[in-house]
Amino acid sequence: MRSGSAFMAGLGSAAIIAIGWQAGVGTLTSALPQSGASASGTSNAAGSSSGTSSSSSSSASTDTSSQAATTAPAASGAADGTYDGSVVNTRFGTVQVQAVISGGKITDVIAVKLTDADRKSVAISQQVAPMVRSEVLTAQSAKVANISGGTYTTQAYLQSLQSALDAAGFTG
Amino acid sequence: MSVHTFDTMGTMVSIRIADTEEGVPRQSIAAINEIEHECARLNETFSLYLKDSEISQIARGELALADSSELMRTEYARALDWREKTDGAFTPHRPDGVIDLSGTIKAVAIDTAAQTLIGSGFRNFSVNVGGDLTTFGNQSSEETGWITGILDPLDRSSLLAALRLTPDFPAVATSGSAERGEHIWLRPETTKAFVQASVIASDIITADVLATAIISGGQATLDQITQNFAVAVMTVAPDGALQANAKFQELVAR
Repeated sequence: MRSGSAFMAGLGSAAIIAIGWQAGVGTLTSALPQSGASASGTSNAAGSSSGTSSSSSSSASTDTSSQAATTAPAASGAADGTYDGSVVNTRFGTVQVQAVISGGKITDVIAVKLTDADRKSVAISQQVAPMVRSEVLTAQSAKVANISGGTYTTQAYLQSLQSALDAAGFTG
Repeated sequence: MSVHTFDTMGTMVSIRIADTEEGVPRQSIAAINEIEHECARLNETFSLYLKDSEISQIARGELALADSSELMRTEYARALDWREKTDGAFTPHRPDGVIDLSGTIKAVAIDTAAQTLIGSGFRNFSVNVGGDLTTFGNQSSEETGWITGILDPLDRSSLLAALRLTPDFPAVATSGSAERGEHIWLRPETTKAFVQASVIASDIITADVLATAIISGGQATLDQITQNFAVAVMTVAPDGALQANAKFQELVAR
């Protein structure tokens, strides 16, 4: 059961990474030990089939990417452990990902930080939490009947998405 | 689905009726006419850009508030009540002291239009006035509720989110600091924390006022509102960073 839940967590993170945080992943790869980068191509599909539990891997975690780079063996593949990627500023906020290396392969990618630049947003995350676009815009957008946006004037209306929907409504 | 649009208060009204029973087209024309009339009355009473409106007379000191119409006093009292509830982040007073009720009247118009449609027997409709809207029933026999997009303020040709508005949370309002909303003034102690705030609530007036208050009051007001009101909220920061509460994520159309 334990490895199953770890697998699901890994899968979820990987899916989000693939959709929204490509910039972060790119930086992560470059921050990892050289030999680890070559394993990244097969990383997500591997899931946690090796049975790595998150608790054992986090005990080996390092604080910064520079530490990770210096402690990793140079040629014989990355040492098992958890590596932090660089902090990346994206339009969705500040993002940092963490890679779990096991047996020379990335077995999990975890988002460790997704916050507004303003640290206060972390403290109030029970009320509002940062989120990425892929979490809120879904395939259902094809069926959108109305659009809520900043006030448009009569003139701006003609160029708005709402006017396109309204025009489509006359024929549909 | 029939769509009716008309111009009022410097913006556009877009009403969609999804009822399919016989006789709907004829009934809808009568109801839309009545709604146009109601909007015109609100515009003539509350528009500061109309020289002869009642609120312009009050602004010039020609008419005392105590002598104004019952509609004026009712709406002023409503706006003052919202000022209390938002600790002043929403206010019906311009910095120069002039009473400006444009922050609530558009929502009042939406609410009035919805009541007119219900009174006329319609059970599946949406009323959208300049990007703020309320809904009733379902948009089609295949969809529960009304799927509503939230505009991306940084790219107005795309959407940030798609929500499903249902009877518990039928209304959404979006305010932006870059929009032409004269009723939004930043308090001196706050910065431009958000370029856009969307609030989904059980009624359009609550949604509209709270969206305005978040833009005006910033993060502190956002925190206060999510603690004190049963609403769904999403904000957009100037760099595009999004924040939303759990209720908002529940409403995302899946």
